[in-house]
Amino acid sequence: MDIAKFRDMFLAETTEHLELIVNILLRLDSDPEDQKEIDALFREAHSIKGMAATMEYGEMARLAHHLEDHLDHCRKIGQITRIEIDWFLEAADLLEALLDDIRNNRPESSVDAFTATVPETQPAALPIAAEPQNSDPADSKRNLSIQLSLHETVAAPGPRFLVLLKRLADFGTVLKSTPSKEDLLQGDTPSQLLVQLETDTSPEEISQQLEKYSELQTISFPVAEEKKENKPKNKPIEKTVRISTELLDHFINLTGELITNRYQLQNALKKQDWNELDEGVGQLTRLVKNLHHQVLQVRMVSLESLAGRLSRTVHDLSRSSEKEVTFQTDGMKIELDRAIVEELTDPLIHMIRNAIDHGIEKSGTVSIRAWRERDQVLIEIADDGGGIDLEKIRERALEVGLLTPLQAKSIRNYDLLQLICQPGFSTVEEVNETSGRGVGMDVVKTAVEHVGGILLIDSTAGKGTRFTLKLPLSLAIIRVLIVECADIRMAMPITRVVQTVEIAASEVQSSGKQLMIHYQNELLPLLSLRKILKLPKGGHFDPISVVITEVLGRRIGLVVDQLVRQQEVFIQRLPAPFDQIRGCSGGTILGSGEIIFLLDLQSLFERRRN
Amino acid sequence: MKKRVLIVDDALFMRSMLCDIFSEAGWNVVSEADNGEAAIDEYRIHQPDLVTMDIVMPEMGGIDALKKILLEFPQAKIVVCSALGQKNLILDAINAGAKDFIVKPFQSHQVLEVVGRVVNEL
Repeated sequence: MDIAKFRDMFLAETTEHLELIVNILLRLDSDPEDQKEIDALFREAHSIKGMAATMEYGEMARLAHHLEDHLDHCRKIGQITRIEIDWFLEAADLLEALLDDIRNNRPESSVDAFTATVPETQPAALPIAAEPQNSDPADSKRNLSIQLSLHETVAAPGPRFLVLLKRLADFGTVLKSTPSKEDLLQGDTPSQLLVQLETDTSPEEISQQLEKYSELQTISFPVAEEKKENKPKNKPIEKTVRISTELLDHFINLTGELITNRYQLQNALKKQDWNELDEGVGQLTRLVKNLHHQVLQVRMVSLESLAGRLSRTVHDLSRSSEKEVTFQTDGMKIELDRAIVEELTDPLIHMIRNAIDHGIEKSGTVSIRAWRERDQVLIEIADDGGGIDLEKIRERALEVGLLTPLQAKSIRNYDLLQLICQPGFSTVEEVNETSGRGVGMDVVKTAVEHVGGILLIDSTAGKGTRFTLKLPLSLAIIRVLIVECADIRMAMPITRVVQTVEIAASEVQSSGKQLMIHYQNELLPLLSLRKILKLPKGGHFDPISVVITEVLGRRIGLVVDQLVRQQEVFIQRLPAPFDQIRGCSGGTILGSGEIIFLLDLQSLFERRRN
Repeated sequence: MKKRVLIVDDALFMRSMLCDIFSEAGWNVVSEADNGEAAIDEYRIHQPDLVTMDIVMPEMGGIDALKKILLEFPQAKIVVCSALGQKNLILDAINAGAKDFIVKPFQSHQVLEVVGRVVNEL
């Protein structure tokens, strides 16, 4: 059995167990006598132990075993203390770190330091509690790997290996053998036998005994490192998702229907029956749409797993900062593309940190809320703290040269707030443990925009701060607006388009050098896409097609030659080195075969500003 | 002191051959038996250092005899003899407690290696 191929599955499952552990611990924090939760916790630790031992991840198995021991104690007492909860959370972090080691093909870090500790237990503790370290009796005996192979001429290799396995059992306890005794009894005829023996006999002595078997070709005692070499090195971890069998059945059905549809179309074509062809294409449209919908489902994950990590962050921070923080979540059942959730995990944690660290003074509420709005998902992180101090931002912006003194006076509050997302901007002079981990708001903003979303900041002095993330549902297939400039068609994600308007040339106003238009009681600067892309100046259009969009936190009107249409497209990232082209974040091939590039307005404007 | 062996096989030819091999190698063949029942009786009388036991025999076969002997004498060292095609029987015998096995047809040095290491096991 090649264990390595189960690694990805192991990683995925253990991660899930770990998330559950943290969630259970946080629930226990509010109800430390919930027997069911303690039992559940025990089962989780037990599952991890079993899986890790099977995969031969010794450190993880040892740690899980240690936890299991202590949980057994908690079960007997019938409750778990806060100190214990913190201890278990610490252990969860350690498990996470071990998973990380495994994921990156590193040897597991030692858990010795942790397994040497036991949380302080409640006074009512049973005597057992005093020494749960006895969980590790393997110290006096050694764990020996023995690998045996037979000469090719040996008459009955299966029975021979069975005899050898039994013989080895005379020297200690066979922890594991490949193949197992049962497999051998079933008639397995392996080419070699690998035995994990717990023994106090030296390898030399065992080797001497084994040399009496002339049937043996090789006797070796592989050490752990050698064993690892059997496993593929640096094999990239495949990202895995679990999908329900029901969904798989849907796929099969759809595939079946598509095959039928193909014949229908071929037939219609042969007969040149245009009506039937038309019907077939209609059918195909329905099927593909359905398929697309189902495939998207596979990629979708709910925000619940994320909520677990966030409430963990709140828990830890409120403890360490001695602030009383209530954490509210809403809409965590909302589903988003897995890639988006992964990309946003760190930024969201950072925003939560910010809220607790800078927003809330002594006590307050931090909330995360998610909801759907057409084909967008909105996530809002809010706190009811003091709000962002606009004056401080103004000072800081002047200091680092983001604003000229003149701009500092005239800038609107909304625009001022957006400045906290500028690289290098930070109003906190001293770096503290909570927020000083190098992830600034600029990183948050970049991450949100990277997945095609928009970050909005809103803050009222004395009432709190609210960050809103407007996100697309999925990354790969998105709805785009296709526009044309100088006979070149380009696409922009619909999520970035506020509205498209056609205005008469006479409606354009000018303010100094800048052209402006009126839009919903606001004056928006009017910019030409031709100019931005350094395309030749074109003829004048009237009416003028304008895309109202939001870049760098400001609304602008973008002039294009022509608005073509909206459609769903499958966006492919451009391969290196084309991925370095600023202003272009991908491409797609239209039904006509035409290649269209996806405009990344954000980076276009950044380039322009620089 | 010479090691004492009991040879169990329903074929006279096999018994004679094993008898020669053991005698030439300096063993003391204390008795022979041609079926399982007889093997148990002979074992009780002689309690030899080693038994070579054919698996397929009329009336009581080798595996049953082996189990009964081991039930009574857990320390008994029994090596089974079988033809190559009977791999599953060999596996069953080992599972039932046979120390080792000899595959027929055999050569004298193979037999002596197997029985030698079995009687010298600690």
